[in-house]
Amino acid sequence: MGVRRVAIVGYAQTKHQWDMPKTREDMVFEVAKGAAEMAGVTREEIDTVINASSDYLDGRTISELFLTMPSGAYLKDYTKTEMDGAFAALYGVMKILAGTHDVALIVANTQGSTFNPHQVSYHMLDPTFDRQLKVLNDMAIAAIQARMYMDKYGVAEEEVAMVSVKNLWCAAKNPNAHRKMPGVTVEDVLGSKMLYEPIRELMMSPVSDGACAVVLASEEKARKLTDNPVWIEGVGSSQDFYVRDRNLQRLEALEKAARRAYRMAGIKDPFAEIDVAEVTERYAHEELMIYEALGFCEEGKARRLVDNYVTWLGGQMPVNPSGGALGADPITATGLIRIVEAAKQIRGEAGAYQVPEVRRALAHGQAGICAQSNIVFILGGEE
Amino acid sequence: MSEEEIVRAKSPIPFSAGFRWSVGEVMEHFIKSLGERKILGGKCPRCGYTYVPPRNRCGKCYSEIKPENLTELSGKGVLVGYTIAHVELDGVGNIKDLEEPLVIGAVKLDGADSTIFVPIGEVKPEEVKSGMRVEVAWREETEGEIGDIKYFKPAG
Repeated sequence: MGVRRVAIVGYAQTKHQWDMPKTREDMVFEVAKGAAEMAGVTREEIDTVINASSDYLDGRTISELFLTMPSGAYLKDYTKTEMDGAFAALYGVMKILAGTHDVALIVANTQGSTFNPHQVSYHMLDPTFDRQLKVLNDMAIAAIQARMYMDKYGVAEEEVAMVSVKNLWCAAKNPNAHRKMPGVTVEDVLGSKMLYEPIRELMMSPVSDGACAVVLASEEKARKLTDNPVWIEGVGSSQDFYVRDRNLQRLEALEKAARRAYRMAGIKDPFAEIDVAEVTERYAHEELMIYEALGFCEEGKARRLVDNYVTWLGGQMPVNPSGGALGADPITATGLIRIVEAAKQIRGEAGAYQVPEVRRALAHGQAGICAQSNIVFILGGEE
Repeated sequence: MSEEEIVRAKSPIPFSAGFRWSVGEVMEHFIKSLGERKILGGKCPRCGYTYVPPRNRCGKCYSEIKPENLTELSGKGVLVGYTIAHVELDGVGNIKDLEEPLVIGAVKLDGADSTIFVPIGEVKPEEVKSGMRVEVAWREETEGEIGDIKYFKPAG
C-alpha cells in the first residue's frame, strides 16, 4: 500500500467582524455548508467532523452545544478540540492518513464579542501563583516579550509598527477581514492608544467574530471531487513550557513545529522553497519572531525583512497578504483561516491580494499565552 | 438590524465561583515559607534546573522534584524585562485606564532558572531598566500566602 495523501477540497469563511448580527450556529451553518458545497460533498459523504471552539471564550461549558446540527455532525464520527482549528485540521489529516476515513469536515468558530478574550487570558494563567498576583494577562506578557525581544536585537518601535501597517493595508484588500485601514501609517500606529508599553492598540489583533470550515479528502476521493486539489505536504506541531520557564526572546516551539513540517514536505531551504506564508501574529512584534522561528532569516534579523519590504505584498516572501490576525482574529478560527488563505493563494483565488505564481504556501496556527502551542502546515498545488 | 433591534441573551458568566485547587506538596512548602519571608525554589535533582515557584516534576528532563529538593533563594534577582501598564482588566471584561501607570516586571531570581512576573514598586516608570537589580518587598504582616509578596523593588 502506498502512502496516502490528503488534500483540501473545499473551504469557506465568514466576513469577520465585531459583534456579528448572527448567532454562532448561523455562522457555523454558513461556513460548514459553504465548504461542503465547494467540495461538492453532501452531509452523507462526510465521514468525520471536528470542531474547534473554546468553552471559556464562548461562555458555556461544552462550547459545541448546538453546533452538531449546523455543522452536520449529529450521529457522525465527531470530536472537538479546545485549541485552534489548525490543530483540528491535523486530527482530520490523521484520520484520513490512518485509512479509516475519506472525508473530514473541520469547523472552527469564536465570537470574541461574547466576552473580552483578554479577560479570558487571565484564566489561562497558573491559578496557584500568577492569578494570585493579579497583574498578568496575555497583553502584559506579550508586552514584556516585545520589550525583551526589541532590546535584545535593537528593534525600533517604528519597525514593529511597520508590521501593523503592512498587514492592515493588506486587510483592506481582503473582503473577509475585520480591521481594514487602507493608508494607515506608522505614525497612526504609534499614535494609537498605549495599552502595555510598547504595545499599542494597532499592534494587537482586534477582537473578532468569525468562523471557518475546511473539507479534507483522501487522494482517491479528492481526484474525483476536484481538478484543483491543494495537497497537505507537511505538518508539524509543538508545545513550549509554561511562560515562566520559556526563553521569551524566541519561539522555540514554532521552530520545532516548522522543522517537523519542513522535513515531512522535503523542504531544505524554506525561504527559497516557500512562496507565501500566512501566520497567526496576535501582536505585531510576534510576526518578526515568527520569521526567525520559521527560518526565513537569522535570529535577530527579522526587522530587515520588514524594513526592506521582503515580506510585503510584492516582496520576495509575502507574509500575511490576507492581513493576518492583525486584520481579523476570531481566535479558534484564526489558524484555520490561515490554511484557507494559503490554499486560496495556491489556487489563484486571492483577488486583490494574490501573490503571483504560488506553488507552495505555509500556514501557521497558535494557541496559548505568547504562542505557547504552534502548528505549521505546508500546502502545495499540483506538480 | 439596528443595535436597538438586536435581542441579546445575557448571563453573568464567568460567575464568581470559588474554585479550589490542590497546590501540591512542594508548592505547599513554598506558600507556607512566604509567611517566614523565605522564597523557595525547586531544584531538579537530575538536571539542576531550578523552578520558582517550585513544581513537583521537571518538564525539561522528566523527573520528580521532592520536598528535599527545595532550596532557599535570597529573594534578590535581575529584572530581565518589563512593561509599563497604562490599562488594566477589571475582572469582568472591561479594559480600564489606570490613574497611575503600573510597572510589571519579569524577574530572574538569583539561583533560579524560571522567570517570575511580578509588580515592581518604589520606582518611577521612566527609571525602570532591564538588567537592574531588584528584591522582594514583603507586606507588613506575612501570613503564608502568595499575597505576602507585595511587589519587587530596586535592590538596596
